[in-house]
Amino acid sequence: MKPARDPLDPLLDRWRSEIPPASASADLPREVWRRIADAEVSALEPGLIARIESVFQRPSFAFAFIAACTLFGLFLAEIRVSRQQAQRNLQLAQAYVQLIDPLLQETSTADTRTP
Amino acid sequence: MKRILLVVLFGLLCGTAGHFACLYVQQPHLSNDNLDAQLSWIKTDLQLTPAQYARIKAIHEQSSPHLLKLASRVARMREEFSAFERQRKTAGEIDFLEFARFIEERRRIDSDCLLSSRQIVDASAEVLTADQRQRYFTLVPPALRPAPPRIPN
Repeated sequence: MKPARDPLDPLLDRWRSEIPPASASADLPREVWRRIADAEVSALEPGLIARIESVFQRPSFAFAFIAACTLFGLFLAEIRVSRQQAQRNLQLAQAYVQLIDPLLQETSTADTRTP
Repeated sequence: MKRILLVVLFGLLCGTAGHFACLYVQQPHLSNDNLDAQLSWIKTDLQLTPAQYARIKAIHEQSSPHLLKLASRVARMREEFSAFERQRKTAGEIDFLEFARFIEERRRIDSDCLLSSRQIVDASAEVLTADQRQRYFTLVPPALRPAPPRIPN
């Protein structure tokens, strides 16, 4: 014969199902923070790209960007020209010294020769 | 996204074009062996006036043929010396009379070189101001600089 069902049994069943297991309650804060971090990242990524896109949409920024690239290219060229000029000046100085002192090629350094 | 790529590519294109255009415009096209290039460099380096430049140019144009001739003679002497050295190593002996003649010739050329070099340096220095002269003497070999005045004891 089946025993009569106690009225408290459904309530007790609900209570057990709602209480998380002990291991689950220990991971809860970590899980919460992970979900928050995921939500922040997913919220940030489209926002950043959208912001960059909106900035590049502005013609003033596009022109400024292109002008900055051009100026940077010119700046690098100036550095290269300056280095080449310094190297050429050195070669000219050596060529001039060799012209006015024919013995220099032989002695390789003028310091060793007595005046 | 397409617009960003377009702007970035156009910016890179402009930067690269500007870079190479600037390099092409400012690159020197003269040879270093050219006397004019050397004198132009001296003019810039010593900040010569047009009159000074004309005088310096005249001095160098007058002396350079002789100096070039001396340089070729020095090169020939060097080859002769190498020939003596080869002979000494292979035959174990050299013609001492010939070698003595070579030494004498070499002394004479060395002396001529030193004299010609000093003449061109002194003549150029006379055209320059004191500051320019000081700078010029740092460019020439120490052997060609005037000896500092001796202080008597």
